Amino acid sequence: MNHLEKEMLALRNEVLDMWALVYSQLEKTKGALLKDNKDLAREVISRERRVNAYELKIDSDCENYIALYSPVAIDLRLVLSLLKINGTLERIGDFAEGISRFVIDTYEKKYDSLIREMRLEEMFDELLEMLEGSRKALESEETKMSGCLFAKDEYVDNLYDQSLQKISEYIKMHSEDALTCIFLAILSRKLERIGDHCNNIVEEIVFYIDAKVLKHAGKHKEV
Amino acid sequence: MNKKNIIQWFTFGIFRALSYLVVLILFFILGFIIYNGIGVISWEFLTGFPEDGMTKGGILPAIVGTLCLMAGSMIFAFPVGVMSGIYINEYAGNNWAVKFIRIMTNNLSGIPSIVFGLFGMSLFVNTLGFGDSILAGSLTLGLLVLPLVIRTTEEAMKAIPDSFRTGSLALGATRLQTIWRVILPMAFPNIITGLILSVGRVSGETAPILFTVAAYFLPKLPASIFDQVMALPYHLYVISTSGTDIEASRSMAYGTALVLISIVLLINILANSLRKYFGNKVKTN
Amino acid sequence: MDEKKIKLEAKNVNFYYDDFHALKGINMQIEQNSVVAFIGPSGCGKSTFLRLFNRMNDLIDGTHLTGECLLDGRDIYDKRVHVDELRKNVGMVFQKPNPFPKTIFENVAYGLRVNGVKDEKYIKQRVEESLQSAALWEEVKDKLKKSAFELSGGQQQRLCIARAMAISPSVLLMDEPASALDPISTAKIEELIHELKKDYTIVIVTHNMQQAARVSDKTGFFLLGELIEYDQTKKIFLNPEKESTQNYITGRFG
Repeated sequence: MNHLEKEMLALRNEVLDMWALVYSQLEKTKGALLKDNKDLAREVISRERRVNAYELKIDSDCENYIALYSPVAIDLRLVLSLLKINGTLERIGDFAEGISRFVIDTYEKKYDSLIREMRLEEMFDELLEMLEGSRKALESEETKMSGCLFAKDEYVDNLYDQSLQKISEYIKMHSEDALTCIFLAILSRKLERIGDHCNNIVEEIVFYIDAKVLKHAGKHKEV
Repeated sequence: MNKKNIIQWFTFGIFRALSYLVVLILFFILGFIIYNGIGVISWEFLTGFPEDGMTKGGILPAIVGTLCLMAGSMIFAFPVGVMSGIYINEYAGNNWAVKFIRIMTNNLSGIPSIVFGLFGMSLFVNTLGFGDSILAGSLTLGLLVLPLVIRTTEEAMKAIPDSFRTGSLALGATRLQTIWRVILPMAFPNIITGLILSVGRVSGETAPILFTVAAYFLPKLPASIFDQVMALPYHLYVISTSGTDIEASRSMAYGTALVLISIVLLINILANSLRKYFGNKVKTN
Repeated sequence: MDEKKIKLEAKNVNFYYDDFHALKGINMQIEQNSVVAFIGPSGCGKSTFLRLFNRMNDLIDGTHLTGECLLDGRDIYDKRVHVDELRKNVGMVFQKPNPFPKTIFENVAYGLRVNGVKDEKYIKQRVEESLQSAALWEEVKDKLKKSAFELSGGQQQRLCIARAMAISPSVLLMDEPASALDPISTAKIEELIHELKKDYTIVIVTHNMQQAARVSDKTGFFLLGELIEYDQTKKIFLNPEKESTQNYITGRFG
């Protein structure tokens, strides 16, 4: 392996590390929310700084890689995908932080049943699987599971729609909790957005490996 | 066909015709000499001494004499010429002294050979007291071809790209090491060619040996470098212009010419094969 | 980062070819075990500057130098310095591969022989080591007695690198070492440079900016005999200080 390949591998491994970091952030956020664990939430918030630092580091490494090695073809696609995936992961990290803040500032035990009805746990699990699945796709340079991951995103979208229903029903009964309910709706929206971001990540990986642009292509059934 | 092409076709046509003409003339001369001379060539002719006022017998002393003069002149001209060539091209830079040497060598090669003969006589034969001898003749002939040897050496060295010199110097070699280990081996095949050309020239020269070594008639082989010898070109001159019986020795003259040409031809062939041999060898020495 | 040892240094170097002022007040420090690339348009003085460090410019008549060139802190133009000793320590690889018309083995052994090494066992060992570090051993180990001219251009250039390394220099100067080679051979040479910086300080002149970017730690940009900018290669290629540097590396020059 020549030194360009080594640099590329190092860059890829950095992004994979970032991935693991964001994954654990999301997992902890899930724990914080579902188990009302404020310590876990605080940990997420403090570790968000590390996510941000990591993003900057990867950004600058990508810049250097492009500036120094003028990558072309598959190398260029990889660097570009890594660059975008990096930004996307950071956004996911932001969402996790936002949810954790909600847990600390607003959340109370009495909403546990609502959260169960909103099926947030299921949403979390789907998202974690998407994150993990896309990471494996990059690691193994294999895009076979992309269809399955896209399907998960659609499933998360459905869950989101249903969760809004549940919230609106809840507000009708407990109008005094309307503000918190709106927060919960926003939270659910955030999870839905994470799903979209995971979707984008998978698209980037497909761009890198198969050189196909899936963005804005509508339904992903053909993949 | 447009005008440009016609002109080109016509011009190259003339060039081609002239080149063929040259070859034709050469073959005519060769054919003429072989035709007239082949009849007298025999073992006795090559190994015998002249007899009956040089109208009969052989030309062995002349062959041996010419070979002696070739060897002698080369022993002198080769080292001196090659060393001067190396000095001029590798060491001396490009100052006025070198320019002067170069002009002088060029002038040297323009001097008529009879002048060399007279010079050789006054310096080697008389002043240095060598007498009419192989030594005096060889030195004179050596002087005559010295410019040729210097020039070919110079050209051969010049043909070696500088990258070999810088490559060697960059490895911490001195200039002498560079010349000795890299440049000379590479230039050697071409230097050899120059040398052989000079030998050819030496074998055919008459004027420089006229007053320095050549004997009119000497029916014995030389015993030392201070002996006089006969030489093929002079012998040829003698039997075709001032012999005892020019008509009777006519066929002898053609035979002598044939031997002389054959020697030159042989030397050239040898030169070419030597050049090829060293040319191949130099890559792996 | 810890302070690295300065291997080569130029202090206010001016260089003239007759009246032509080829290098104008160059100051530069080159760290040990680093790769430094010189870039710049033709005639900018980068090759001249490179050749100052093994005194190759001495071979040209009518040149004149002011200022100091230091190797390990010692002025290499000091009268007490023997130029062949210096060149033993500062190897050079040229633009065109220039193996000698000798066998592959003798090419590499040449530097040892001219420097008076007689021990054949040692020569053999050094030849093998050098060919190995030049990543050529596997390709030529069975034909060491063959002429170096039988090698391909890229192999010849690696042979020249091996030849330069055989006498164990501490600095390698490379004057456009890959400009006459095809892309595959170029990549091999670049990879080699990257490997070699563990043991050598390498200065490379190149017309190929990508090459400078790929192989070097620091890059110096020369223009009209001046050192315009000298900085980390990353910095030069991402965010150069000077506008002329930017114009040159982006190809907007002139």
